Amino acid sequence: MKPWRSTTFRFAALVFLFQLVAAAVLLLGPALLLRSQSHANAVTVAETLRDDLLDAYADGGTTALARAVDARASRGIERSTVLLLAHPDGTPVAGNLDHLPSGLIPDAPYTLVKLVRPRHASPEAVLLQSVRLRDGSVLVTGTVVESERQVIALLERTSLIALGLSVIFAAFAAFVSTRLILNRLQASVATLRDVREGRLSRRVPADPTGDAFALLGSEVNQALDRMAALNAELKLATDALAHDLKSPLTRMRAALDRAAQHVEDPLAQPFVDQALTESDRLMAIVETALSITRAEAGMGRESFEACDLPELLETVAEIYAPLVEDQGRAIVVEAPGHLSLRVHRQLLDQALGNLVDNTLKYGSGTITLSLESEPGGATIVVADQGTGIAPERREQALRRFTRLDEARGGWGAGLGLSLVQAVAHLHGGGVDLHDAAPGLAVRIRLADPLLSPPGTVPPPRR
Amino acid sequence: MSQKILLVEDDAATAEFIAKGLDEAGFTVDRAANGRDGLFLATDGGYACIVLDRMLPGLDGMAVLAALRGAGLETPVIILSALGSPEDRIKGLTNGCDDYLVKPFAFAELLARIRLLIRRGNPASGPDTVLRCDDLEMDLLARRVRRGERAIDLQPREFRLLEFLLRHADQVVTRTMLLEGVWDYHFDPGTNVVDVHLSRLRKKIDEGEPRRLLHTVRGAGYRIGIEP
Repeated sequence: MKPWRSTTFRFAALVFLFQLVAAAVLLLGPALLLRSQSHANAVTVAETLRDDLLDAYADGGTTALARAVDARASRGIERSTVLLLAHPDGTPVAGNLDHLPSGLIPDAPYTLVKLVRPRHASPEAVLLQSVRLRDGSVLVTGTVVESERQVIALLERTSLIALGLSVIFAAFAAFVSTRLILNRLQASVATLRDVREGRLSRRVPADPTGDAFALLGSEVNQALDRMAALNAELKLATDALAHDLKSPLTRMRAALDRAAQHVEDPLAQPFVDQALTESDRLMAIVETALSITRAEAGMGRESFEACDLPELLETVAEIYAPLVEDQGRAIVVEAPGHLSLRVHRQLLDQALGNLVDNTLKYGSGTITLSLESEPGGATIVVADQGTGIAPERREQALRRFTRLDEARGGWGAGLGLSLVQAVAHLHGGGVDLHDAAPGLAVRIRLADPLLSPPGTVPPPRR
Repeated sequence: MSQKILLVEDDAATAEFIAKGLDEAGFTVDRAANGRDGLFLATDGGYACIVLDRMLPGLDGMAVLAALRGAGLETPVIILSALGSPEDRIKGLTNGCDDYLVKPFAFAELLARIRLLIRRGNPASGPDTVLRCDDLEMDLLARRVRRGERAIDLQPREFRLLEFLLRHADQVVTRTMLLEGVWDYHFDPGTNVVDVHLSRLRKKIDEGEPRRLLHTVRGAGYRIGIEP
């Protein structure tokens, strides 16, 4: 997924940008305002002076103007004023400049120039304008703005430094605000994850703030309550189904039992035996289908008990050893000395039994039961050296009532691998079918509920 | 005097065949069709064992069981139920029942479990270290098995299997009971895995002997004992 499409990323970016823009406006605004205000003031002062002098020129010509310029320049009260009356060739006539500043375009707007005034050691910033008079003389008026420029430059420098810092603050604000949102969402996410793992009683903790996140938590809880109610109904339905199916089956089996004891016709005997076998098969199918439904609904986690998995694998190998040996094959266990996990013992027994049974029916060569310890759980692998299952049919093999090899009869109804998958899901894991080169390897991943405290359960790796 | 069994079962057909079977096995059976009658009869006492259906009209099996245990009655109770999940079993066993049999069941298994419960209520004078059946002798301490003068060499799993059968000599032992009792394995695969174990054991015990001791009880399980 592209990160900029994530809402969290966009939110963080938005917070960052707004913070930055706000800081820029606050920091650079006053400097810009001050600069423009200072410019306007300086221009106003200079223009007032210029207009005044032009009035004198209008009244008394160049001589009057020269007097007026000298009077104002020598008055000394306007230290920041720059005045110069020069002949058309640039020779100074009056004023406080000893030469006509170069680069001044007559009658252009006020221009900022750097010049060294007489009796001044360093160049200063001055706003200047030159006006060409009727007789060709040039009148230069202006205002020294050096100190204002220095203040403004200082202000601008500090503003830029502050702006640089505000980039860091804005990034921090973006990070903190997204963490805040993620943290507020965490309770709902953790609860939903736990529920998915089968801890159906988990709920989002009460949140008194009443904000959007509290509302989300409350909605999640209500949805989970509804789901729990539906689950309870499902349990009732499966219990009722079990009861309704099993009672007549009990009677049927009992009748067949008695028939088997009393039938005297040797020709009838095999039929009664077959009927008994079929009733057991029917019951096994009903039991397995109910087990899958219950396991997939997450029921049965309360029956989890500590189990030493290597010991369990040894038991399975021991039970099946005579059957395996009768086929001229071997069954071996490859497991560490001790690895205990909390599991649903009966369902795990059934899952492993189904897998070994499958390898007896459809596999060949040595059957290997191995155990791999993993952080937070374990993986049990049942592998053989037969023809395996083609990759494109593996998913189909895990579906209920799917039999890949219809030609072979047998006890099952295509529920074996589905049950294995349901059991793995109940244990917070999953099932993968692999090529054992040659043969099939079925990997059952189990998560240890004790190693995964509520809220930190790793998602199932399907 | 034959031992009395109380059967609390609302399904008339099921009650009929259980009662008949128990009668044929030499027990006297009292029947109750609902929880209240069952509770009334049970508190009257004198029963060697109570067979209690879990789903009963009115007062269900678990409530009857709770009332019985609350009244201090310690008669062994075996619950019959269509609900067979481990949670259901655990609930039943923690509420005070002594055994839990899931429907549908083979009558032979019910009978075997009833006999086991009654015998458990009257234990012998101490744990046996030598088990015998006819001329078959198993010394648990020396881990030796002999049939008459012939020493029998058994693998560890065959030893455990024979020990379990001898501890239930003359009783029917089902495949489920063997898987649970010998291997603590809670699933009957339906394939003939138990039969293969038993046939190997039978070869070592009975082959060449004039009397067979290990018998298959059709549709139910196995029994070790002298041929009736």
